[in-house]
Amino acid sequence: MAGWSIMTNGSALDCVGTVNNCQTNGCHLDDDPVSEDSVEEQSGVHKDRLRCLFDLILSGYLKEVASKGFVRPLPALLGKDGQSPDLLKLFLVVNELGGHEFVSGRGLWGFVVKELGLDLEVSAPVKLIYSKYLKELEKWLFNNLEDRNEQSASGGKFGFLSLEQEKEFRGLFKNGVEVVINKLALVEYMKNNNSIGKDNKKNGLKVSDANLSCSLHNGVEKIICDNDKNSCRNDLVVLDPTVSRKDFCTRKRKRESLAGMLNWVTQVAKCPKDPSFGAILEPSKWKDYGGDEFWIQAIRAREALRKKRDDHSLDEQSFLQNNQKMHPSMYEDDSLSHHFTERLRCSERLPTSKSCSLSCCDSGSASQNNLTCLHKTQSECAPKEQSLATSKSSDMIAELYGDDSFRRQVFVGPLFQAEVPEWTGFISDTDSKWLGTQEWPLNGQEHDSLAVVDQIGRGRPDSCGCQIPGSVECIRLHIAEKRMKLKLELGSLFYRWRFNVMGEEVSLRWTAEEENRFKYMVQLEPPSLNSFWPDAFKFFPRKTRQDLVSYYFNVFLIRRRSYQNRVTPKSIDSDDDESEFGCISDSFGSDALKVPGSSMLICSQNNQCIDVE
Amino acid sequence: MEDSLGGASLPSGPDGKKRRVSYFYEPTIGDYYYGQSHPMKPHRIRMAHNLIVHYALHRRMEINRPHPAGPADIRRFHTDEYVQFLNSVSPESISDPAFSRNLKRFNVGEDCPVFDGLFGFCQASAGGSMGAAVKLNRGDADIAINWAGGLHHAKKSEASGFCYVNDIVLGILELLKVHRRVLYVDIDVHHGDGVEEAFYTTDRVMTVSFHKFGDFFPGTGHIRDVGVANGKYYALNVPLNDGMDDSSFRSLFRPIIQKVMEVYQPDAVVLQCGADSLSGDRLGCFNLSVKGHADCLRFLRSFNVPLMVLGGGGYTIRNVARCWCYETAVAVGVEPDNNLPYNEYYEYFGPDYTLHVEPSNMENLNTPRDMEKIRNTLLEQLSKLTHAPSAPFQTTPCTIKLPDEVEEDMDDRPKPRIWHGEADAYESDPDDDVKPSHRFSNSAEQPTYDTEMSDATDLKEVKSEPPS
Repeated sequence: MAGWSIMTNGSALDCVGTVNNCQTNGCHLDDDPVSEDSVEEQSGVHKDRLRCLFDLILSGYLKEVASKGFVRPLPALLGKDGQSPDLLKLFLVVNELGGHEFVSGRGLWGFVVKELGLDLEVSAPVKLIYSKYLKELEKWLFNNLEDRNEQSASGGKFGFLSLEQEKEFRGLFKNGVEVVINKLALVEYMKNNNSIGKDNKKNGLKVSDANLSCSLHNGVEKIICDNDKNSCRNDLVVLDPTVSRKDFCTRKRKRESLAGMLNWVTQVAKCPKDPSFGAILEPSKWKDYGGDEFWIQAIRAREALRKKRDDHSLDEQSFLQNNQKMHPSMYEDDSLSHHFTERLRCSERLPTSKSCSLSCCDSGSASQNNLTCLHKTQSECAPKEQSLATSKSSDMIAELYGDDSFRRQVFVGPLFQAEVPEWTGFISDTDSKWLGTQEWPLNGQEHDSLAVVDQIGRGRPDSCGCQIPGSVECIRLHIAEKRMKLKLELGSLFYRWRFNVMGEEVSLRWTAEEENRFKYMVQLEPPSLNSFWPDAFKFFPRKTRQDLVSYYFNVFLIRRRSYQNRVTPKSIDSDDDESEFGCISDSFGSDALKVPGSSMLICSQNNQCIDVE
Repeated sequence: MEDSLGGASLPSGPDGKKRRVSYFYEPTIGDYYYGQSHPMKPHRIRMAHNLIVHYALHRRMEINRPHPAGPADIRRFHTDEYVQFLNSVSPESISDPAFSRNLKRFNVGEDCPVFDGLFGFCQASAGGSMGAAVKLNRGDADIAINWAGGLHHAKKSEASGFCYVNDIVLGILELLKVHRRVLYVDIDVHHGDGVEEAFYTTDRVMTVSFHKFGDFFPGTGHIRDVGVANGKYYALNVPLNDGMDDSSFRSLFRPIIQKVMEVYQPDAVVLQCGADSLSGDRLGCFNLSVKGHADCLRFLRSFNVPLMVLGGGGYTIRNVARCWCYETAVAVGVEPDNNLPYNEYYEYFGPDYTLHVEPSNMENLNTPRDMEKIRNTLLEQLSKLTHAPSAPFQTTPCTIKLPDEVEEDMDDRPKPRIWHGEADAYESDPDDDVKPSHRFSNSAEQPTYDTEMSDATDLKEVKSEPPS
């Protein structure tokens, strides 16, 4: 299930970043082995597009809700094991059954849970998640479907959605909703009110259409055939081919084996040292290993998932290569919650597809090709001679870093390396221009021998004689004194090092009106991507860029920090440019603080220290 | 063998205290602005400088304003087209279709925006590192600092991770003119991929990077990436997990670096001090204190090898300033008061206004078992270097500066001649050392560190013999 939910996240990301890619390239997103059992193959593309839109809508909705104080994190976790249900599938299943009310009324949550491939015992949490996350969406969807004209399509909590997106989603939803559940199993479930399709085999098919009024227009028989030809191809990679072919008809068993493997993964993750898990062979032997233990299943499953991801991202390779972000959250679409997208960005950044396509073969290859490709990469990355010393240590590494999925190769070639000359012993000249301009120590005559200098490494005195030690006035006074001292010591160097334009002194060149305008501007401007305040020059036609930046760091931030230090000392932040400007409403709450304006500073006793250039 | 060891010792002696420190600072650096909401803020360099001067640490250093690196200088590493692009692009011109193709090609735009004065910023950063290298090359200084440098992600023809011009590669190339082997150590939370890549196939530069690995920018730095061809085993990667704390870091850094120094015997060392490995960084995920971070510098300093100290990442700017100020103090051999002196940016450091801040209580995901495995793996990898035949260890010839004095005894050596002004103030004077440890009023519970390199100075391996 872990892999499953990750894939869901990934798709949502792609959706945000590159909606177009979703349209054309999403066919491999649906890795849920359960849904593949019952979903028509040809609807795959639609379904992936649906998933994209669904994720977009859901995250947008959750953000709306979050802004009202109801935080609902993604992925939605089910209490016990931290499982995370596929929300789209949950939504589709419930809606096909007839919606939240119907499911609750008929007590079908157990069936829903089974259909999602989860344990029966989580039906209550699943119901809760549905009502917290999806009920609103259901209501919106059906209201509008019935009466599209009456209600504005762009209204309410889903106003962030464009009309086109909404239309498309509705269309896809209509399409997708009818093919999702296993009617047969539903019959069984309602019959026994027990666990799903215990004997969901060929003989079960014959019972099918009798009891259900639902339109089984595709026919279970056909679904299974399709699976045989197409969808199951994917599963063959996960499991040993022979095993899965043999067991194909008894899908349940397949699921069981997967469930076993997933449990095993969970257990290993919880206590990796437990000897009862048995030995895992080193990576070089994986390929030819014939067994069917959980660990090899897990490895194959991982390969398969990765293969799909790689398939999916092949077309985006240049996108991937050039868009690894150092600061993932900076560039997010506004309509997405921060937390959510940061996760997504991570999955996009996974570098495997790059190294894979570089190290081998044509990238647009069929799945089989890709599989060998992965193996090849792995063996190329860790050739025998390179594997460190004894087999013992390489085992250790495999254990520690066995998962190479994050690994990105170093490029080698004249385009990448610096030209390093051979060592000849001959020392070429170095250009003395690089020594630059010596600024300190000062020349003899410039040095003011009378300057009283502090000891090296000395901090501030422990106490001072100010009326209110630690107040803004007190600190301004001491800073001014310190500056005076420094100016005496440094002389003209004080200016060359630009100490004259450091700190709140900078505000002396600004009028009170300008300062207010700046505050207003910063509040007004939405955080824009890597740009200068776009309207800065409308606000300040006569100030240079440098003036504004200087004011921002030397005055604006200092005042904001000054406020934070005294009013919200538990939550300080010198580096958040874009939000939390609550404190700046009224000159940083200066009234509350009795912060004097710069004019008051001039009135105070040490005005000789004010450095006006 | 004696000769080769001698090549690593410094004129100013092995006592672990006195170092001639040269520091490069471009006074306009703080005015460069990457853009609204961009986490990289050159202002932090100005804040660090401000603290350094208010602690009066400048009196123990020579301070130079760097010569800006020209396009031709930058082309020593970067490709012509890329340099041409950086030199000509501006915020106004990016909408020009002629540029838009190149924006993508050179990965300029998002992480690495085009901002006003971009090239000037690169020139100042690279000029400082070049200056630091020349200082060391000429034997004018034992430690050379450039906090505007350390931009380790920049590639030969590509910007990356807020870095455009790789001042480190340029600086190391300059060092290689005089020094046979250069060791590069990187303690930024991000992998030092640009430098590693640039020197991936040579044994004249060994790169060692300690970084968060696993679903983290830039994605390189796997423990098995060790270099290729002649450079094989000359790249070392220490992949770490979230919550790295001082003691865990030290338990890896010290043994690994000590082994590297033993087997590689570099003639010069470059330390990238990216401060995003500090606790509470806006982008990083480690939990180092300033002292834990500076311990790396303290340790490297103790080896008496010419040392270039550079900046790098660091996105909680108040802590960056704290860190680089403290590391400057470590370089000059001073233990500053914990209570900050009054300074223009005093309010940034509230509500405690102290130099050191407590690390957070975040969980350290690096288990002792992981640490041990990594350490053993890397030490084993390093043991292959001892017999590396492709790297004959030979002595660095003496630089032009000190030809006549090589036979002299260390202690009798006259003071270097380059200090005209206040040579006596510039060199460390034991009496002048301020160690007001009692002033650490807010840090009673902090672990105490050796203020001097007690455990490092008695390393048997690092003898201090005069170069020959």
